Amino acid sequence: MSAQAKLYSLFADKLFNVCLKYSRTPEDAQDTLQDSFMVIFKDIKKFKHKGSFEGWAKRVTVNVALQKFRKKSIIKFDDIEESKIPDEKVYVDVEEKEISLNFLLSLINKLPPQYQLIFNLYVLDEYTHKEISEILDISVGTSKSNLSRARKLLKKEIDAIKKLQL
Amino acid sequence: MSKNIDKLFKDKFKESKASAPTEAWPIIEAKLKKVRNIRLGYMFSVLGVLSLISFMLFSTLTETSPSKPLHKNTSLKKEVILKDNNVNEIDSNKSNLPVSIPHEDSKKLYATIATKKESKNNMAQEKTAFFEKKFKDTVIEKQVKKIDSLVNNLDNLVEDLKNDLKKEKKKLLKKKDSIEIEKFNKEKRRRWNVIPVFGILNSGRLSKNVTTLGTTRAVTYPNEYFDDNKSSGLISSTYGFNVVFRATNRISIQTGVFAKELRFLTEDLFLSEFIPDVNPTNIIYNPGVEVRFSNTPEIGGSESASLAQTIVYMEMPFELKYRMFGDSKFNTNVVGGFSFLYLNKNEIRAKTNTSSRKIGKASNLLTTSTSLNIGLDIEYHLSKRLVFNSAVMYKKHYNTYKDFNNEYSPYNVGMHVGIGYKF
Repeated sequence: MSAQAKLYSLFADKLFNVCLKYSRTPEDAQDTLQDSFMVIFKDIKKFKHKGSFEGWAKRVTVNVALQKFRKKSIIKFDDIEESKIPDEKVYVDVEEKEISLNFLLSLINKLPPQYQLIFNLYVLDEYTHKEISEILDISVGTSKSNLSRARKLLKKEIDAIKKLQL
Repeated sequence: MSKNIDKLFKDKFKESKASAPTEAWPIIEAKLKKVRNIRLGYMFSVLGVLSLISFMLFSTLTETSPSKPLHKNTSLKKEVILKDNNVNEIDSNKSNLPVSIPHEDSKKLYATIATKKESKNNMAQEKTAFFEKKFKDTVIEKQVKKIDSLVNNLDNLVEDLKNDLKKEKKKLLKKKDSIEIEKFNKEKRRRWNVIPVFGILNSGRLSKNVTTLGTTRAVTYPNEYFDDNKSSGLISSTYGFNVVFRATNRISIQTGVFAKELRFLTEDLFLSEFIPDVNPTNIIYNPGVEVRFSNTPEIGGSESASLAQTIVYMEMPFELKYRMFGDSKFNTNVVGGFSFLYLNKNEIRAKTNTSSRKIGKASNLLTTSTSLNIGLDIEYHLSKRLVFNSAVMYKKHYNTYKDFNNEYSPYNVGMHVGIGYKF
């Protein structure tokens, strides 16, 4: 087994989970995974052992996924003043066991691309608003406002589906 | 149930264990191969260009080198002509020019200009060659540098990959250790194990001439009275219990109490009444017993008999167990240690075709002795509390006899089984 194959077998599953969040279909996620590994193998010498290799590989994957995402979707962020954004938590009434990962993925995919991106980066990949603003070249306020709207939209969707079930 | 939406998504995605599609790696591998081939192709083409340039350079150098002295000779020749004021040659060349016949000085001047022109041409040619060479050198240097950096990059890539994999390996091993330690800590409460044990033993002695304890030398020393008689160890048993304490994930300490029986038989003897103890036999006959063992029918009479010796020790082992391999269900351990032995029963019986009776005991056995123990132990966990235990043990006894070399001490090989209870 080559060193690259070993590296692949170690991280493929973890990185595929990252790719899934930024892709509309599993096939898209596979494409992103393949491209990400090509970049990882090409740029591995740039990894300076600051932090874990897994963290670095995840960042590379997120970057590749973002590039692809941008190519496929027209992204228009809603600008808003930072002071006007309430940092509120959004709650939903659900039985966690009844909800599958595929269902959540479909909800994320229904979001407008700008909300989807920021929700993924902030909530699922744990980037800060400052980091998101640098990655997407937007203001911190924009990042916060888009996140807040993403949360509200998701809640609306979940509530609507719950009502239908009742 | 109300739940924070961020936490809901985060938890679900953390739980998810979607596997990367199996067809992804072959595609990546093919792409990598393609990139590698392009790199190799690039390297080969660079090498090809380099070798072509070197070949061209070499051939140019070999062609231009003899022309240089020719230029020099020409100018020298002309200088000589000038010095001798011989300008006829120049005159003849310039005779068609629309100028008056020059004077001596102007002739000299003209010749100098002509020579300068020629040397200027030579200089220009040399200059071009020099710059061409310089240009080629720079190109070569650049290509060599490129190749060097490519090689360095490849080396770095391989080195980085190796380092990363080593780190990952270390991490995984650490993880494995921590899992094992965690498991050990979880089971810390059940570190004690009490195992009632039953075992079957076969005994013998390592000495060449003597094969069993209670026969020949052991009984008849020093006169070797029963040396030629057939003797053998018999199958005997041991029973008791072991207490095992698991000190670490791999090492356990075990002790216990056992009743261990050793049995030996010496055959083809005769039992005679009222013969004096001519040959000391290390047998203390019980009061009232009027028969003696002999190996000659003339002395002993006619009743043939066997001498059966039974020795029972109370055994207290102190052993270490080391887990070589295994998992939570099945373990294989090596066992090593020693036992204290306390003589509990010492009996010699006379067996004839019709009867078996106790006639005395051996006088040369020490009350306390030791044994060295090694063996292989297998554990199979039937449940969280119950463990089936089986061991094959070899035990060599020491200080068994009063006046005897350890060479004659017995050994025994035993198979022990038991079911233990962990608490």
